[in-house]
Amino acid sequence: MHSHRNPFAYSSRITDWDFHIKVSLIEVKFVAFLFSYLQLRPNSAQPMLDVPIYGRIATLELFRPHGEAQDFLFIATERYKFCVLQWDAETSELITRAMGDVSDRIGRPTDNGQIGIIDPDCRLIGLHLYDGLFKVIPFDNKGQLKEAFNIRLEELQVLDIKFLYGCSKPTIVVLYQDNKDARHVKTYEVALKDKDFVEGPWSQNNLDNGADLLIPVPPPLCGVLIIGEETIVYCSANAFKAIPIRPSITRAYGRVDADGSRYLLGDHSGLLHLLVITHEKEKVTGLKIELLGETAIASTISYLDNAVVYIGSSYGDSQLIKLNLQPDAKGSYVEVLESYVNLGPIVDFCVVDLERQGQGQVVTCSGAYKDGSLRIVRNGIGINEQASVELQGIKGMWSLRSSTDDPFDTFLVVSFISETRILAMNLEDELEETEIEGFCSQVQTLFCHYAVHNQLVQVTSSCVRLVSSTTREFRTEWNAPSGYSINVATANATQVLLATGGGHLVYLEIGDGVLKEVKHTQMEYEISCLDINPIDILLVMCPWRWSSLNFLLKLDTGELTDRKKVSLGTQPITLRTFSSKNVTHVFAASDRPTVIYSSNKKLLYSNVNLKEVSHMCPFNSAAFPDSLAIAKEGELTIGTIDDIQKLHIRTIPLGEHARRICHQEQSRTFAICSLKNQSSAEETETHFIRLLDDQSFEFISTYQLDPFEYGCSILSCSFSDDINVYYCVGTAYVLPEENEPTKGRILVFMVEEGKLQLITEKETKGAVYSLNAFNGKLLAAINQKIQLYKWMLRDDGSHELQSECGHHGHILALYVQTRGDFIVVGDLMKSISLLIYKHEEGAIEERARDYNANWMSAVEILDDDIYLGAENNFNLFTVRKNSEGATDEERGRLEVVGEYHLGEFVNRFRHGSLVMRLPDSDVGQIPTVIFGTVNGVIGVIASLRHEQYVFLEKLQSNLRKVIKGVGGLSHEQWRSFNNEKKTVDAKNFLDGDLIESFLDLSRSRMDEIAKAMGVSVEELCKRVEELTRLH
Amino acid sequence: MGSMLGDWPSFDPHNFSQLRPTDPSNPSKMTPATYHPTHNRTLPPPDQVITTEAKNILLRNFYERAEEKLRPKRAASENLIPEHGCKQPRASTSC
Repeated sequence: MHSHRNPFAYSSRITDWDFHIKVSLIEVKFVAFLFSYLQLRPNSAQPMLDVPIYGRIATLELFRPHGEAQDFLFIATERYKFCVLQWDAETSELITRAMGDVSDRIGRPTDNGQIGIIDPDCRLIGLHLYDGLFKVIPFDNKGQLKEAFNIRLEELQVLDIKFLYGCSKPTIVVLYQDNKDARHVKTYEVALKDKDFVEGPWSQNNLDNGADLLIPVPPPLCGVLIIGEETIVYCSANAFKAIPIRPSITRAYGRVDADGSRYLLGDHSGLLHLLVITHEKEKVTGLKIELLGETAIASTISYLDNAVVYIGSSYGDSQLIKLNLQPDAKGSYVEVLESYVNLGPIVDFCVVDLERQGQGQVVTCSGAYKDGSLRIVRNGIGINEQASVELQGIKGMWSLRSSTDDPFDTFLVVSFISETRILAMNLEDELEETEIEGFCSQVQTLFCHYAVHNQLVQVTSSCVRLVSSTTREFRTEWNAPSGYSINVATANATQVLLATGGGHLVYLEIGDGVLKEVKHTQMEYEISCLDINPIDILLVMCPWRWSSLNFLLKLDTGELTDRKKVSLGTQPITLRTFSSKNVTHVFAASDRPTVIYSSNKKLLYSNVNLKEVSHMCPFNSAAFPDSLAIAKEGELTIGTIDDIQKLHIRTIPLGEHARRICHQEQSRTFAICSLKNQSSAEETETHFIRLLDDQSFEFISTYQLDPFEYGCSILSCSFSDDINVYYCVGTAYVLPEENEPTKGRILVFMVEEGKLQLITEKETKGAVYSLNAFNGKLLAAINQKIQLYKWMLRDDGSHELQSECGHHGHILALYVQTRGDFIVVGDLMKSISLLIYKHEEGAIEERARDYNANWMSAVEILDDDIYLGAENNFNLFTVRKNSEGATDEERGRLEVVGEYHLGEFVNRFRHGSLVMRLPDSDVGQIPTVIFGTVNGVIGVIASLRHEQYVFLEKLQSNLRKVIKGVGGLSHEQWRSFNNEKKTVDAKNFLDGDLIESFLDLSRSRMDEIAKAMGVSVEELCKRVEELTRLH
Repeated sequence: MGSMLGDWPSFDPHNFSQLRPTDPSNPSKMTPATYHPTHNRTLPPPDQVITTEAKNILLRNFYERAEEKLRPKRAASENLIPEHGCKQPRASTSC
């Protein structure tokens, strides 16, 4: 097997990339949010379109060039590309109006982020990308962009730049800090012809030391608001007004009125204020500020319409809120209408199998500060069991109503090989066996349905019976012609369609106590399945391979389109439709139960989190509304089904910031390191170790750390010669006067009767950044050192950690993974090194290292020889141990084998998978690593075999030619490994998102690619679909 | 009673008129369709591929100053006819 020893990786998202923009439109006008576009409707605001952008978006601005009827969107990426996009409503396409590269060969990238602004009179686009430089992209009078040029900007520490409104010449206002740390604003006119600045109309020195944000005020008032931490100032050429505010850091603002007299301000603690500029005769007379209430901590605020505001958050779920005119009982004007999931920032996560079904779930430490939470992310659809009985050998199930107009089902008909039994809800809302006298109970039932006139239909191999649903008595029957038995049948309330041997097809109509044979035809072939229900989706099974399905999507036109084939296990499949929230879906019962549904005009299939299902029927009773009856493994279960979607996310709000998480199987608990901000007079943080029940997620025990003590790492492990399982916590004393912590602790806890009991503690000479179980001992990364501790039994029977050996030579050893005797260390700035523990000598030695200067953010061991790293320029890379090197020098060097720009800051890798791994499937053999990022992306990295990699790389390069980058941005450039020192093409990594988008292409585009690849479309679809099953 | 906050602006009274709060513990997870352009207009017109002028600021200033030095001379010789008479003798004396 090659698969476990190769550097070929495939990366694919599980959750949304945050750097997609979500687009929608109100008529032809864009409505801008920082990351999101929502569609406005009378009853909702929902994202409409997910637009992948090949870059990390640094700035996003809407503008309306002269003579245009529609707004354009300006996007600049962190890697110095920009584009101007236009939405073509007719074709629903994004069109690139302009693009370009705004990088300079020389220049120091700004510390405070990139700034991109557009003159309100559309004379130029201004960019501040490098210290001391202001880049201008001028517009000509037709709204076309011209060659860009740089202007020297004297201010080196720029905090914000905005264009002023109502100036005859384009004028910027610059908020900056001088070399004595004082903050000032200054204005400059941009002289486009001279390509230079001219001193502006005014300036203002010595502002609030926390001034950080400029808000330009539109006409008629004009001027600028300067938002500080303790004051807000209005400034213009002829007015200066200031008000004090409660100390806070304003993170976002949104303009309410077109005349710029009111603004919404969101602060670091999630408080929303309204800032009012009072004015008389277009003269500013003062400022007022009013607290409106609390929201998620805002990164962006957009007033939409009719008092509805979008709060975009990178620290918690984004929200749609309504501003009421009167306060509620708590004095808040804010009402949350809707919230939108955001998993970011994912600081840590673990992969667990809580339901013990052989399928991983990810539990993340998500959000920050008061919006901190745990999120349980699970793939597939869950069944919430409500009742179950033991029943062997079920061959079919149908639910029936006791009268035609009853909204609920009463009976559940369960068919066995040689009998049919009836279950019904009794008065105590329990399921008990009953009888429908008119039914044939000594044979297998082929089909059942309720019918008009309070009747029930039962089809068996010999006859169709009509029974009263009220008296349950026999009314009439239709018998199959002698010598022929009924093979398949279907029915609705008024019709029965059945097929017998010999290809006979019979159509009956149901009357009041009457079954009338209306039509009888003979077909050339045997009939294997029938349906007469109204359909959206038609599913046709391959007769020669029961385990696969051909999907045919039937659209309104009656055309059959979108044929797809997917494997759904190895056993025969039965298909049934059911409704959930008024939408019809298909349940495929098999050894890999699946729900098939349509979304965005695509057929999707989602695993059901059950091992094997032989039959399913909807059972909507008064006691168990919207439930399903499911026959599995000798059991009949009644349960409700989750919302029909691929990914399920459960939120456990903590109200504090969780930073590390760990699961302990034996005690069925989670332990987290968290911190809580006390928003009292002095901003203080308290750090905790908290124990949570792994089912209820309730706090069951808490250990408070010392003042200034941070929880840095957490581990569940056991030691040699000790059967107990412990939680080990590594901490650091973070003192304001120290650059690096010089003191920390390792705390060893045991869970006893649901409580955290401190067993022992060990002081360390620095921050314990990482803890690993290692050969029955404890391996800790403490500042520059890797330290191994033995678990020693004292004379009094208690245990202690005793230092055994260590290894110096790191800047800061932040991330550690181990495998056997090997230790892989991710350093603050010295990339990855490989250490080995020598048992005989009791020593740790360096074996090899990567000599690149990567600043690491996470490491993981893919296999014995290949190690995966993520670094702070949003790149991934793999290195290989070179045991066969000829010289010591070669053996001591970790060879870089893979490089890739992920565009996301990875905080953690963990081995595991979110999907059920079936030993029979090819995908089941592919090792995977899950990652979590600051933007809240959860993704998977899969190791591919060489042959697979070569094939998919070819597919990827063909897809690049067909799927174009929005804004003309290049996929190849986007994925190239990039840091301050070098930019090189991605190697040995493939972009799973791009590859899987093959399945979204039109048939003609698929044909185009298949032709270029020299394989059939079917083969390509099959191979790509297999990959989608990795996540 | 009017609110002390004042009225909120309305662009289209229809928008959000029927929006009711949803369960906050059940955030919206609706994933929109992903956009994969296959059309040819992802590339802009050729004259709208923008770059920064190659000349750096120092050189630009240098040339500009050089031009400025030239310009008054030309202006003086070509346009300032009235001054011509009074400048001429000084020029001649300086030679």
